[in-house]
Amino acid sequence: MFEREIEDFIEKIRTRREFLKMSGKGIAGVTVATSVLNLMGCSQAEPSGNEESPEVEAFVIPTGLLVVEPNKCTGCQRCEMVCTVANDQKIHPLISRVKISRNFNYGKEMTENYRYENGYFGNFLMTPETCRQCEDAKCAEACPKNAISQNETTKAWTVDESLCVGCGACSDACPWNMPTVDPETGKSTKCILCGACADNCITGALQIIPWEKMEAIFRRKGYRFS
Amino acid sequence: MANITGWTGSLLRVNLTTGNIKTEDTMKYKDLVGGAGFGYKIIFDEVPQGTKAFDEANKVVIAVGPLTGTTAPCSGRTNITSLSPTNPYHAIADSHMGGNFGAWLKFAGYDGIIIEGESTKPVWLKIEDDNISIEDASDLWGKGTIDTTYAINEIMGKEACIAAIGPAGEQMKNLASIVNSVNHSAGGHGGILGAKKLKAIGVKGTNAVHIAEGKAQDWLDLNEYMMKDIIGSNNNHVVPSTPQPWAEYHNSKSRWTAQLGLFWGAANPPVETGECAAGDKNKVGLRTQKAIFDLGPLAEDRTIKMGGCYSCPIRCQSNMYMPELEKYGLTPYATSTCINYSSPNTAMIKGYADGEKKGMDSLITKCLGSRLADDYGIWSNYGQLPRDFRYAYNSGKFKEVLPKEEYDSINWDLVESGDPGWMVEYYGNLIKGGEFGHLLDGPYWLDQRWNLGEEYWNSYGNNLWSKMAYPKHHSNESGAQVGALVNVIFNRDANSHTHMNMIGAGLPIEILKEVAGEVWGSPDALDAPMNYTPMNEYKAKFAKWSLDRNFLHDSITLCNWVWPMTVSPSKERNYRGDTALEAKFFSLATGIETSEEEMNLAAERISTMHRAACVKEMNTIDMRNEHDTIPEWVFEADPDVKPFTEGTVKLDRDDMQLGLTLLYREYGWDEKTGAPTRATLERLGLKDVADELEALNLLP
Repeated sequence: MFEREIEDFIEKIRTRREFLKMSGKGIAGVTVATSVLNLMGCSQAEPSGNEESPEVEAFVIPTGLLVVEPNKCTGCQRCEMVCTVANDQKIHPLISRVKISRNFNYGKEMTENYRYENGYFGNFLMTPETCRQCEDAKCAEACPKNAISQNETTKAWTVDESLCVGCGACSDACPWNMPTVDPETGKSTKCILCGACADNCITGALQIIPWEKMEAIFRRKGYRFS
Repeated sequence: MANITGWTGSLLRVNLTTGNIKTEDTMKYKDLVGGAGFGYKIIFDEVPQGTKAFDEANKVVIAVGPLTGTTAPCSGRTNITSLSPTNPYHAIADSHMGGNFGAWLKFAGYDGIIIEGESTKPVWLKIEDDNISIEDASDLWGKGTIDTTYAINEIMGKEACIAAIGPAGEQMKNLASIVNSVNHSAGGHGGILGAKKLKAIGVKGTNAVHIAEGKAQDWLDLNEYMMKDIIGSNNNHVVPSTPQPWAEYHNSKSRWTAQLGLFWGAANPPVETGECAAGDKNKVGLRTQKAIFDLGPLAEDRTIKMGGCYSCPIRCQSNMYMPELEKYGLTPYATSTCINYSSPNTAMIKGYADGEKKGMDSLITKCLGSRLADDYGIWSNYGQLPRDFRYAYNSGKFKEVLPKEEYDSINWDLVESGDPGWMVEYYGNLIKGGEFGHLLDGPYWLDQRWNLGEEYWNSYGNNLWSKMAYPKHHSNESGAQVGALVNVIFNRDANSHTHMNMIGAGLPIEILKEVAGEVWGSPDALDAPMNYTPMNEYKAKFAKWSLDRNFLHDSITLCNWVWPMTVSPSKERNYRGDTALEAKFFSLATGIETSEEEMNLAAERISTMHRAACVKEMNTIDMRNEHDTIPEWVFEADPDVKPFTEGTVKLDRDDMQLGLTLLYREYGWDEKTGAPTRATLERLGLKDVADELEALNLLP
């Protein structure tokens, strides 16, 4: 099982790398198994018994694998701030392409049981939410102006501001409401895979593991990219 | 000139008597930077001489600075300025909280809120961009800060940040705090909101904080430089606490505790702090495992992670998993830092029963007590509250002053037996409304009421600094005359880490003395610990610089528990920090190119503004004798040892009088009285302040 998971994962990466060179098709995020994450030094725990697996998310992006480890997130919200300085020359969590402030206090949902649930008013856990760069991007599909398209170089779904009318259909269509209309510009903002959030994460809760490093890890363990 | 950024440009003025709400232009105050600087000037200008803290005429200024909300590391502070009810003269003081409130205020579009008047019924203030309203808080009155926050979040949405008072503030206790985001509390002004019947302020907004046009990349570069080359750990300790392969030095007192085998043990899965080499910006947040520092070794397994303020990479608050708290009706989670953990511990004056594991009852007490203090909105007066409790208990004062019925109703067995349940009893009785609750009056008023005596004021272990009724906070034990001079200036605990963090950075004294020579003109500004030399002008420069940076940080706003960056962990930089960083961030935030010297001048202006307000409120120019007093225990420690002998922190009376003279000289204040002169006020652009003081016959 373990071997199979890793082989599958390598196959996906290999395919994606080739795709990056030659094709304009989608580069969807992949689910990365616990065994693979452990291999790469991420601290994903094995779920035991009926316990739910802790939420760890990983996404294949052009520069490497973007891994989100909530157990390391301290809620400093610097990922959001650096995101908006880098992309908007100003600061506000609302327009950040990585989202944490909105689930800082009470998690993703606010319930009467908040003192026991995620968030600073509960168990202190908060999850940085990132754009999945979906293969079948609902944001792009929903846009009435075709303002969201995939960038040829980065393969990120990107908003063309000259076309965007700020209607918010992208945000509504996204299952995680990741795109956001900037109230000051009236234009939608979404992740373009610039990597500033992970680059500035103070604990490595958001990290991009570069392909070169991953390749080296797999080779060291006896796996090979074809 | 390009648009000025950094400030939003709007101050909100809310009159609770009339219900009138309006905005004003921030920029008329911009030479005072923000936060405390704004607060001192506004209170000086608008609150009449002779006003008491809980009078309707008193005002509260909640303000932030041009760095708030910008991503500048450790800029998540909010400053609250008003008259201080604990002060014998009700003289001005500022309190401070971290959390999210300050940044959220900026996002709503405001640099500050001026609260004036008082409501006849409980209200809360709702701020959503331009939509401001005073809301009914009848249903919130009596609630703790957590329930209050939740109730308002239900109305404003879960992203809104709420600052609230608890029962202590409602009851106009002098030692009451204002709390946002669970546990970020500002001590000393909660009772004033209570007097004004203002239960809480909820804020959220959609306005971004802008930095100077075209400077985004410069900003990111400066951020990168600070995070890689300059910033240290908690309190800017710049060496690890244990030997590390990458480190030239280590120091067991350093809060840079990260090491292999040290974990956030209750994280799922556990997170190893590991080696966090200098220069690795992606591990800055792992450098300080603060739980073991605040709570002892048992805390490692209970640590979920380190929390802290918005934008701060130095995570100083430990987030704990503590199922033992459920026995007391709380959730199994606790969080706080420093004094809010140590204050409950100090209240256990008979120690602990300590059953199964040594240290566990202490851990439970600290977590339980901090949760209750934050929810009730009680301020410990930098740890003086439990010492006052101890004094009253050990001296038999409680038996003397408490009505018999009240005395008998208190379950003293809990403190006698070292039971953590004393926390429930102790905090519950503090806000119950009886005589016991007068512990929350603070030292001066408590002495007036209970007649505590000379020993209370003068004993070394009781830590009281002056008749201004606050305790020492890094005083003569921290740089001898430098720490003592820093401690005399305020109307509350000095709360200054400028000097302490440099002294305690962990580097060898030889390097620190070199740095002292570069920053203050001579290595003689700094002595080796416990080996102090007589006063000199460079120590006065060090003291003034420490005060000025503290006032600047409370205005700009930055966290003075970490800033300034006098030293760094970088061997390549020969451990030199960058004292111009505040000016560099300020320049990029505002678009106003500002040198370190210009920033220093702004800081000096704020310090002197604070001084001028104090002169006005005390109605005297004799600050040397009426205000800047030094406790007897500083001079009487180690009776068999003379001052300036190796091994003592005992100071000399004449030497400290010289110290005051040299400090006044550095400021250009009158050397005899310590009051600001007209010439100095005018040099700092405060002519109107000089005119007002002259009209009151308060210029030297």
